Amino acid sequence: MLLTEKDARDLTGKLLSFVKADDASVSVTNEQTSHLRFADNNVLTSGKRESRAASVTLWMKGRRGAASTNDFDDASLRAAVEQAEQIARLAPVDREYLPTLGKQTYKPVGGYVEATANISPATRARQIGDILTACEKAKVIGAGFHQAVARAAAFATKNGNFGFEPSTVVSLSTTARTPDGTSSGYFGRNHFDVAKLDTARIAREAIDKTLQGRNARTLEAKSYTVILEPQAVADLLGNFAFGFDARSAEEGRSPYSASGGKTRTGEKLFDERINLYSDASNAELPASPSAQAGIPSQKIYLIKNGVLENLIYSRFWAKQKGTEPTPGPVNAILETTGKPTSVEEMISSTKRGLLVSRFWYIRSTDPRTASLTGLTRDGVWLIEDGKIQYPVKNFRFNQSIINMLAPGNVEMIGAAERVGNAENASLLPALKLKAFNFTSQSEAV
Amino acid sequence: MKSSRREFLKVTGLSTSAVALSEWSFGREAEAAKFAAIETSKDDLADVALALAKKLGATYTDIRINRYRVESISTRERQVQSVARGSNFGFGVRVLVKGTWGFAASPNVTRAEVERATREAVEIARANSTIQRRPVRLAPAPKVIAKWKSQFERDPFEVPVDDKIGFLLKLNEAALGVKGVSFVNSSMAWVNEQKYLATSDGSRIEQYLIRGYPTFTVTAIDRATNDFQTRNSIAEGSSAGYEYTEKYDWFAEAKQAGEEAVGKLKAKSIEPGKYDLILHPSHLYLTIHESVGHSTELDRALLWEANYAGTSFLTPDKTGKLQFGSKIVNFVADRTQPAGLATVAYDDEGVAGQRWHLVRDGVFVDWQTTRDLAPLIGKNKSYGCLHADSWGSVPFPRMPNVSLEPAKENVTTDDLIGGVEKGIMIFGRGSYSIDQQRYNFQFGGQTFWEIKNGKIVGMLRDVAYQSRTTDFWNACDGLGDKSTYLLPGTFNDGKGEPGQSNAVSHGCPSARFRQIDVLNTAADSSRS
Repeated sequence: MLLTEKDARDLTGKLLSFVKADDASVSVTNEQTSHLRFADNNVLTSGKRESRAASVTLWMKGRRGAASTNDFDDASLRAAVEQAEQIARLAPVDREYLPTLGKQTYKPVGGYVEATANISPATRARQIGDILTACEKAKVIGAGFHQAVARAAAFATKNGNFGFEPSTVVSLSTTARTPDGTSSGYFGRNHFDVAKLDTARIAREAIDKTLQGRNARTLEAKSYTVILEPQAVADLLGNFAFGFDARSAEEGRSPYSASGGKTRTGEKLFDERINLYSDASNAELPASPSAQAGIPSQKIYLIKNGVLENLIYSRFWAKQKGTEPTPGPVNAILETTGKPTSVEEMISSTKRGLLVSRFWYIRSTDPRTASLTGLTRDGVWLIEDGKIQYPVKNFRFNQSIINMLAPGNVEMIGAAERVGNAENASLLPALKLKAFNFTSQSEAV
Repeated sequence: MKSSRREFLKVTGLSTSAVALSEWSFGREAEAAKFAAIETSKDDLADVALALAKKLGATYTDIRINRYRVESISTRERQVQSVARGSNFGFGVRVLVKGTWGFAASPNVTRAEVERATREAVEIARANSTIQRRPVRLAPAPKVIAKWKSQFERDPFEVPVDDKIGFLLKLNEAALGVKGVSFVNSSMAWVNEQKYLATSDGSRIEQYLIRGYPTFTVTAIDRATNDFQTRNSIAEGSSAGYEYTEKYDWFAEAKQAGEEAVGKLKAKSIEPGKYDLILHPSHLYLTIHESVGHSTELDRALLWEANYAGTSFLTPDKTGKLQFGSKIVNFVADRTQPAGLATVAYDDEGVAGQRWHLVRDGVFVDWQTTRDLAPLIGKNKSYGCLHADSWGSVPFPRMPNVSLEPAKENVTTDDLIGGVEKGIMIFGRGSYSIDQQRYNFQFGGQTFWEIKNGKIVGMLRDVAYQSRTTDFWNACDGLGDKSTYLLPGTFNDGKGEPGQSNAVSHGCPSARFRQIDVLNTAADSSRS
């Protein structure tokens, strides 16, 4: 049984009652996670676990200490508080300390669905059994992961704030491979409402991609026009919205730094149709109603009409700079200001280019330009004269994502959809990009 | 079999060091009494799970009752950003019913909860057995009664916090003393695992592990040109106690890092092309991890990781045949290596830690296995690679320490450099990326040094190399001797769904590779 709001109030209240320090912020979380993992057309592992944590951060005369425990009895909670206080006594003064927030008002976002939290082993087995059967019928080898997470998170401060945020997320991803190992397809989606997770579609898309990826040919690694499916965009840009830190930009160590301690805020760095924003109340992507340090989250734009609109100011940095702390981001939505283009229209408009379904093992190579390396995975196709011609083998890429989204390089933008991985999602569109740098061939499947 | 704590000691003839385990307590911490009370009943709780699972139809069961303690401290420049301690305690029951795995875990370590979780694990296994195509078979493992602790001298959880803060701030000061250094971030993390395992084979095993990971990043900024460069520490994590902060000269490295971060601002940007590479162990260990450690995992080869981490270019039919590297290349998997982060006495299903060759004289010869993997390639014995990162995680195949053996003859790093006309020497781990079959990879580093005519002549920047695993290891024509050998490791090797994190080390000497493709990572960077 997941923590209720009353349980959470009692627990955070109890933690705060043990605090002797001048100020404190406490949190409790409780998660129930169940999963089934399948591979080689067979069940691999499956289980259910409950986890929980109680954390306390406190300040004694400006000195900070923190401790956490997963034992929720009184003695353990008291011990955690005492340990944090012991640490605070030994720590130097926290120069970035700001008093915790008093009572705030949060708008419920509706990201918790009871049916998602209560998926039974039998229901899950039936859904995965259907996928195994579909793979066997298509003569492909299926692997995948089905997971449901129910989470209750609460926080409170010594100055009177309290927040309670229940949420759920269920996900399914499936990879299908041909028995000869020459083609692989992947599809995955997640949702907070189990009724909106179309497990049959996920399996079908993965199987179709595999069958359409057979007999891939080798193409030269160089710059190509690309159409990135939403999953590929999620792989590249899933964390993009969380890299707009004002402090590092003003310290001179960010792609948004300008000379002389200035930033590039206000510059049109991106295609003018691009809006990137955070909005906890989005019906398809509900997110935390609280942003940093418990500030109620608000809709904020990071990129508006292609212009770098906002950098993210922490409470401390905002005070240093005489500005307001930023109430987000808590999620990421990238949309076009124009009419979205379908992937089919993107293909039919392409003289020569590549359709990319997914990227893998993406790492930063140059933080100055947000340059990344990584590889394509699970499906690349050559497009010529408006039609998909044949599948091609994978590539490694090296590409700045700032340059990728720059004016002149973004040709078309699709409709944003919910896409991500097992636990995280953003609303992201397919993109057609004029140039994308592939630097070597990869024969991996 | 039920064993009391006293019987453990009697049966195993434990050394005095094992008896002096501080009884799994937490020193002065208030949790001590609670955990001591739990300890007296761990065997009883295990008996409950094992008996109930058997009654409900399980053919194999194990229960792990574990506590994890972590401490992390982070600083920047002359201030402390955070000091945090955490403790996490619970149990996980794994059952095999009708050849299908089931698992359930809980932080409520009580008899009633163990019963509930055992029933839940059996229910899950039964539900999934209806769609199971091929039943799981386990290689046998002998019954073990044992207790073990990793090697450490000073328990970091007994070292005062202000000593640790003092260490980090002194380290920061060493870097900030270098003209041109703008920022320093430093941190240290300590982990203590207290693991109890009971299996239906009769094994009862207790293990106590300590590991540590001090690390830092120095940043130099040229505001006039709007450029910045970083230099991370090249020393890595280790299975060691607090003595790890004293046996390595962290302060000298911090000063050197400051000088090198500043040096990188003015260093020559690499001209792309083919170069001979001399790779220092602080860099090479991660290349080994990605290209050798992961490619020799049998679960990957058998498609178990196809949906996430990926498969492997190695397949069972290549065992004993594939020329993985040149003849001087020998890779050893080793769970017994002192200071290795993946070193244990027993894995999470009671199989003893072992040492075996994965690549011998350049030929790929063997795999990493668990009890459910070994039978799938006709083996009746596991190499002991099952591991879970928490009581709440399903144990699954994880990498042992995989290490490159040094040259037997005397070869120094300078000897290797001396044999290079046009090359680059690389220190430290940088950006790293490898494909899902562990073939095509790209690695950066922390510092890059130009070699001309057998000598290092200056610093380079913007360097990364790309290669294919077998091309790369077959291009290895020189290894340093044991005097060049180090055992770096990482705390955070991710794999599996749900994702788990594993700590692992990779020993290696300095090594030379001929004619590797090098690219300029700033080539796509237009920064105004």
